[in-house]
Amino acid sequence: MASSFTPMSLNPYSSFRSASNGEINSTKKIMIKMNMITPSSKDGTPLKAMKFKGTQMREKKLTEMIEQKVVEANQVCGEDETSDECKVAWDEVEEISQAKADLRLKLEKLHQDPLESFCQENPETDECRIYED
Amino acid sequence: MAVCTVYTVQSLNSTCSISKPTKTHLGFNQKQLVFFKKTTTRRTTTEITCSAGDTVVIGLAADSGCGKSTFMRRLTSVFGGAAEPPKGGNPDSNTLISDTTTVICLDDYHSLDRTGRKEKGVTALDPRANNFDLMYEQVKAIKSGVAVEKPIYNHVTGLIDPPELIKPPKIFVIEGLHPMYDARVRELLDFSIYLDISNEVKFAWKIQRDMAERGHSLESIKASIEARKPDFDAYIDPQKQYADAVIEVLPTQLIPDDNEGKVLRVRLIMKEGVKYFNPVYLFDEGSTISWIPCGRKLTCSYPGIKFSYGPETYFGHEV
Repeated sequence: MASSFTPMSLNPYSSFRSASNGEINSTKKIMIKMNMITPSSKDGTPLKAMKFKGTQMREKKLTEMIEQKVVEANQVCGEDETSDECKVAWDEVEEISQAKADLRLKLEKLHQDPLESFCQENPETDECRIYED
Repeated sequence: MAVCTVYTVQSLNSTCSISKPTKTHLGFNQKQLVFFKKTTTRRTTTEITCSAGDTVVIGLAADSGCGKSTFMRRLTSVFGGAAEPPKGGNPDSNTLISDTTTVICLDDYHSLDRTGRKEKGVTALDPRANNFDLMYEQVKAIKSGVAVEKPIYNHVTGLIDPPELIKPPKIFVIEGLHPMYDARVRELLDFSIYLDISNEVKFAWKIQRDMAERGHSLESIKASIEARKPDFDAYIDPQKQYADAVIEVLPTQLIPDDNEGKVLRVRLIMKEGVKYFNPVYLFDEGSTISWIPCGRKLTCSYPGIKFSYGPETYFGHEV
């Protein structure tokens, strides 16, 4: 792996910025492999294993959905607490909360990006662009 | 029915040996035939393995999402191999596959997607949101060694995605809200477990899970649990009478007025008279035991441990 690493791209992030259309060239592929060791912040605490843009988008979407669905549920249940609509609204909140928790669990405890396997097969897709902080 | 996996195909010859049948802790036998072939120049091994046992089907009833719970991961690692999502498939698949085990999520058998359920006013807990006919057909097929194209329910989008191929494994676990609801599916289960989390513990766990979320507050978490409770009590809870093993997670009795939930009380209720299932016991099979290791010594760490074991009746069964 290290032998095909070109010297000018010692900074792992520099060549990502240069290919702004998301095209992954071979150097990037190597750097993706290098980044598989979970990066740590300066004080040694491990960062989340988020690697791909798709996962970041998903996390963001789930967070927004939770907020939105809680508001909806409060609204619907305000009208009639015993209605079916109220039950379903809170059930949706539960479903999304669990989905978000599962994603967090994968990233924080198992240090896996759920798109890992998919992106190995489909590195050119938008979802598989490398996530930059 | 025998399922054979051929690793290399060469002309068959010479010695064939039958390895000793192995007994797992659940007590079922799997016979394996291993063929060896000797060439003149050097010894090569051609391995053809035939499992003369059907796929074992285990049902797990749990309300904590699918296949991602710590319990399920530990269970699959006990059977052998680390469980992972299917490689290269739908990234939102709920399925886990290891060397020996495949775990599927019964949410994949939703007949109504999120929009559909909203329209009909039906929660995911309601049997009307699930296709038990398809569940039965596919579990039956897997059990008899036939691969199936199983739908995928995407928990992020709330839609039903194109199906994924599920090949019959040695151990097939169906996890979800209704593994024992339908009588036909129940008949297919070789073993069933119900994870019974008490209301207090459920509340404590959900607080831990959701409090960091921007959208949530103590009230919203509470409201969500309460709104789902009627359907849960009506459709999910009754399944525990059918389970071979019930794992109850309850608040501790060792710490008065505990509301942290860091120390828990766990009860394992095991049905007697189930084929191949020998309930585990403390010290002695026939006795009733109550044991506090280091009950009076001051050096023991608070709050200590208490074990007990004994026979009881549970929903009319001896356990």
